[in-house]
Amino acid sequence: MTGAVVVEGLHKRYGTVHAVRGLGFTVGYGEIFALLGRNGAGKTTVMEILEGFRARDSGRVDVLGLDPGEKATERTLRERIGLVLQDVAVEPYLTVRETVARNAGYYPAPRDTDEVIGLVGLAGLERKKVRALSGGQKRRLDLALGLIGNPGLLFLDEPTTGFDPNARRSSWQLVRDLRDAGTTVVLTTHHMEEAQELADRVAVVAAGRIVAEGTPATLGGRDTAHVRIRFALPPGTTVDDLPVPAAPGEDGLVTVESAEPTGTLHRLTGWALRRGAALTGLRVDRPSLEDVYLRLTTDDHGTPENRPERSAL
Amino acid sequence: MSATAPRAGEECAVSATAPRSGEDRTVSVTASRAGEDRAVSVTASRATARQAPGRGLGLLWHQIRYEQLSFWRNPQSAFFTFVFPVVIMSVFGGLFGGIGKSEFYYGRSALQYYVSTIAAVSVLGCCYSQLAIVLAARRENGVLKRVRATPLPASAYFVGLLAHCLLVSVVDVLLITAIGRLYGVPLPATAQWPALAVTLVLGAGAFCALGVAVASLIRNAEAAPSVVQLVLFPLVFVSGTYMPIHSAVLNGIAGALPVRPFNDALLGAFTTHGAGLPWRDLGVLLLWGAAGAVVAVRRFRWDPRPE
Repeated sequence: MTGAVVVEGLHKRYGTVHAVRGLGFTVGYGEIFALLGRNGAGKTTVMEILEGFRARDSGRVDVLGLDPGEKATERTLRERIGLVLQDVAVEPYLTVRETVARNAGYYPAPRDTDEVIGLVGLAGLERKKVRALSGGQKRRLDLALGLIGNPGLLFLDEPTTGFDPNARRSSWQLVRDLRDAGTTVVLTTHHMEEAQELADRVAVVAAGRIVAEGTPATLGGRDTAHVRIRFALPPGTTVDDLPVPAAPGEDGLVTVESAEPTGTLHRLTGWALRRGAALTGLRVDRPSLEDVYLRLTTDDHGTPENRPERSAL
Repeated sequence: MSATAPRAGEECAVSATAPRSGEDRTVSVTASRAGEDRAVSVTASRATARQAPGRGLGLLWHQIRYEQLSFWRNPQSAFFTFVFPVVIMSVFGGLFGGIGKSEFYYGRSALQYYVSTIAAVSVLGCCYSQLAIVLAARRENGVLKRVRATPLPASAYFVGLLAHCLLVSVVDVLLITAIGRLYGVPLPATAQWPALAVTLVLGAGAFCALGVAVASLIRNAEAAPSVVQLVLFPLVFVSGTYMPIHSAVLNGIAGALPVRPFNDALLGAFTTHGAGLPWRDLGVLLLWGAAGAVVAVRRFRWDPRPE
């Protein structure tokens, strides 16, 4: 047992569709781990196998030391994990407090109902019927149901979809606080900002495999990738006048790619100062997590040089 | 294994055969998670596991309470289960109040007959129709999957539903009986109350099983109400619920289906004096209930989008 979640050589087929093809990853205790990937890449299938909703075809899956496909330990596992599923599913006619209190009764050592309602930001709405809640509020109620059992491991499937920016920020803080208190979190998301802000580690799933894995800052070689320097050419100059190779862009800005931006910038700004010109709109960027993600997932078969070879079929 | 606090029986087996590895694992879990909280919660869930029987009953009561709450708050379910039979019984009271004992009503007055058949149809409405529709809807909107995500055992969920339906059925039958009383229908003889109770429990159980079975076979929730009514409507008619039937062929067929035996058993319990239990009717009900349970157990799905 080396992690809260250990997946090795996981395979799952639906009829002729080979949805998960030898996928593997490990989530350490107390870590926030994000699975990224396009719709249909296989991440929901992986989550549902981890959550015990689907059976796998082959491979090893270990969740808090238990096999989620094992009937005999199912209840034990359910007592220790919390789930926030993609679809909001709550009884419309109960109040917020009744909904949370009902689920609290299912767990051997639940958290305090009112405390959890406060944590997810629904304080003051305890007596409101679920059907009268907004979409974002229902989603937060779902989060409360995921937390009420005081789980050691929390699965969040696109947890902040439909949240306004304030609710999203406070939910991120809540998830960080849970992590700091020792909870392991596995989440899926389509928001790169969410992965960037929240995850300790991310893995990109494409065509049923992990194509890249790392911290948000280093994923896909982000930290060592070329820096992009962009600016508008001073009037009366052309790309050929610049001291470094540059490419004109569609928006009138030129782009200079550089492996050592300090020197490149020095040469560029020196050149501009000597001419008494300004580099209008000067920006220095590293590829964003979204750039890396798009590069990794645009071809859904995965770029070969980035695909770590896992167990063969 | 033992780091994960299995239920009572498993716990003993594991620690008896492999005490050492069990201890090691507990330590590693505790150490690798931020500590004391976890250790406490592991201990807590073990303590609870030992009290399993008490917790099981508590859990069941908890479940019944919240089923009741969801039910009474939902105007639609309350309407179909209570308003419909109450209105029918009141209307029949006005229409047939004057018809005394006759051969057409098997030697009973019209209202004596209808009190038992309308009571039966109210039980059908709650246990079969409403349950099938509610379960199909809960599956469709993901509520069932959410239930499955909690440690609530499937058995507790279904026993909770059964108990809830039985409670609602009892309220229904009491209401119908009370309306009958207002129209002058005598209450069932005290000696018949055990037969009434047995019939009611068995009928509610059998129709709940059939309701769950139908919910298991229906693919989408929108079709549920029409499928449920399509099955029930002709069945109720040939079983003599709204009009006594004197065709031997029809009665032979209906007698093998679940509604007529339930009607007959209730009619006997409501209007005879110490005739004992209608074993044949109860047997047919039991068989239907068992068949429904088999389909329900084999085909029931929690997930709106199965593989």
